[in-house]
Amino acid sequence: MAQEAHGAIYDLLAVRGVSRRDFLKYCSYIAATLGLSEAAAPQIAAALEKGAKLKPALWLNGGSCTGCTESMAQVDTPDVATIVLELLSFNYFETIMAAAGKQAEDNIAETIKEGNFILVYEGSVMTGQDGNTLIVGNKEDGSPKKGTEILAEAATAAQAVISVGACAVDGGWVAAYPNPAGAMGVQAFLDKEGIATPVVNIPCCPMNPEWVVAMVVQWLLVADDDPAVFLEKTALLTKTYKDGITGADVTLNYPEYVVGSTIHDNCPRRGHFENGEFVSEFGSAEEAMGYCLYKVGCKGPQTFTQCPVTRWNRSVSWCVNSGAPCIGCGGLNWVDNNAPFFKRLSSMQMGGSLGNVQPGSVAAVVGGVAAAALVAHGLGMKAAGRIGDGPPMETAKKYDRKRMAKGGDK
Amino acid sequence: MAGQPHYREAHPLVFVMTHWVNLICMIMLAFSGFYIHFPFFPGFMGVARGMHFFAMYVIIINLTFRIVAAFTVKTATDLGSREVDTDIKNWLPQEKNKHQFFETVKYYLFLRKEGVISAKYGSLQKMAYLATIPLTYLQAYTGFAIYGPTMKGGFFAAGTTLVGGPMNMRIIHYFIMWVFIVFTMIHAYLANIYNFNPSKIIFAWKETDH
Repeated sequence: MAQEAHGAIYDLLAVRGVSRRDFLKYCSYIAATLGLSEAAAPQIAAALEKGAKLKPALWLNGGSCTGCTESMAQVDTPDVATIVLELLSFNYFETIMAAAGKQAEDNIAETIKEGNFILVYEGSVMTGQDGNTLIVGNKEDGSPKKGTEILAEAATAAQAVISVGACAVDGGWVAAYPNPAGAMGVQAFLDKEGIATPVVNIPCCPMNPEWVVAMVVQWLLVADDDPAVFLEKTALLTKTYKDGITGADVTLNYPEYVVGSTIHDNCPRRGHFENGEFVSEFGSAEEAMGYCLYKVGCKGPQTFTQCPVTRWNRSVSWCVNSGAPCIGCGGLNWVDNNAPFFKRLSSMQMGGSLGNVQPGSVAAVVGGVAAAALVAHGLGMKAAGRIGDGPPMETAKKYDRKRMAKGGDK
Repeated sequence: MAGQPHYREAHPLVFVMTHWVNLICMIMLAFSGFYIHFPFFPGFMGVARGMHFFAMYVIIINLTFRIVAAFTVKTATDLGSREVDTDIKNWLPQEKNKHQFFETVKYYLFLRKEGVISAKYGSLQKMAYLATIPLTYLQAYTGFAIYGPTMKGGFFAAGTTLVGGPMNMRIIHYFIMWVFIVFTMIHAYLANIYNFNPSKIIFAWKETDH
């Protein structure tokens, strides 16, 4: 099947020095990521070939560090994922596009006008100070154009939005306390604006490029360019959270293959966890032996992503493999929920002079106060002479005595 | 309260057993829970987790059995009495405790001298004991919500969403354990403040005359 169409993609592959064999291997890998059997590889190849028509896309950056772009684009050698992503014709991609100034702005306007494109949004939506915390370019009349306006326009016209990275999901670290920029996720913003374009969220900081590739393949392979079909046929998991800015409940769509299990479940160090072999401090012999990082704050048990399976940097490694505890960047409100990163439990934000407090400290105070109170009470009981046979007992309830004094029942 | 005989009718053998099961399970749960929270020595995680899950199932079954038994087993409802009635009577409002709640609080705060007339369980005591029932079930719920095989189940996932994520659920689970620890401290203290005869009957089923 894959042999019949030697279209644009094979030219692209040949130019990049990628053989057809490499390409099909990659398709099998994507099939596995999507939870399909290897038999789906030729279909994927066909979908990608068909996709070589170049699907228009916009890659917009909001309040972002461009780390997700880095994750996507850090290639100094040709890479199959790169070529596949070139199936999307990015008409606007701030960090890597050649266009600049008015030409770049026109590219956005043009794409929006033509419609039928996919919007990839990286970074948080900065709504603070009436949206003036993020300004990119000018409007026709020369007044500054807010990031929120650009997103609203683009998302309205787009077929679907892929929000990549924790910031686009729910505001990420930009939305961490005290969130002066009024950062929020794409879905929360679209809900607020009443824009119904479907959004698929790819978590983590930065997001994993393979997950984005898998979503693009899913779009080309099963969705046939139709958002309704895409939503119907893609295995999605939803998570709901309360947005900190709008206070509204926001329901997020995630690809199930990304958030279906915890990091802990698939962790290569899980055996050390079960054996009770832990790293207690960095630089120790235990660390050198690759023991479990649970005691130094690993948030893997409560973080739902597929990092240990997909891995990063072309599946070479990932955080725990390279010796760092998971800091939970695939979760919601991940900074506030997981800081401090090297402690087992996150701190509770008590505010005021208390600041951030570890649950263990609170528990120690509560336990200590209770023990001290009981000792003090015991001394009081002894001083009151109640120890031994107990206090002298009342002969009637005080209530009854009072009532009797008043003359009892009439 | 002190000065009363402690007869076997107050705590029939079956409740002496359930009390033992509760105590042993609570110790196992707290110890293994602390270990899972922060492994303070190596080589025990698998055992600690196994112990935690085992003790949890036992304590939930034990508690459920204890509730059912309250409707079938007869116990004394008065202090120092051999006269028995269905155990559930001890857990419903009783005539002897009427108007005595604030008097009991005042007694323990040294605001009155004389001891307070009460049923087998005083009003304050009864409330504390009854509160452990929903708390135990709640603790099992929060535990299932952070336990790998069950955390994704809709019933548990809904609670996790409600409290703002699995980390918060973990912290709640941790604090509820501390409620149990403080309860146990106060319980052991108040039960034995006058003398150790209440312990003799509930642990060794040994009667005493005061």
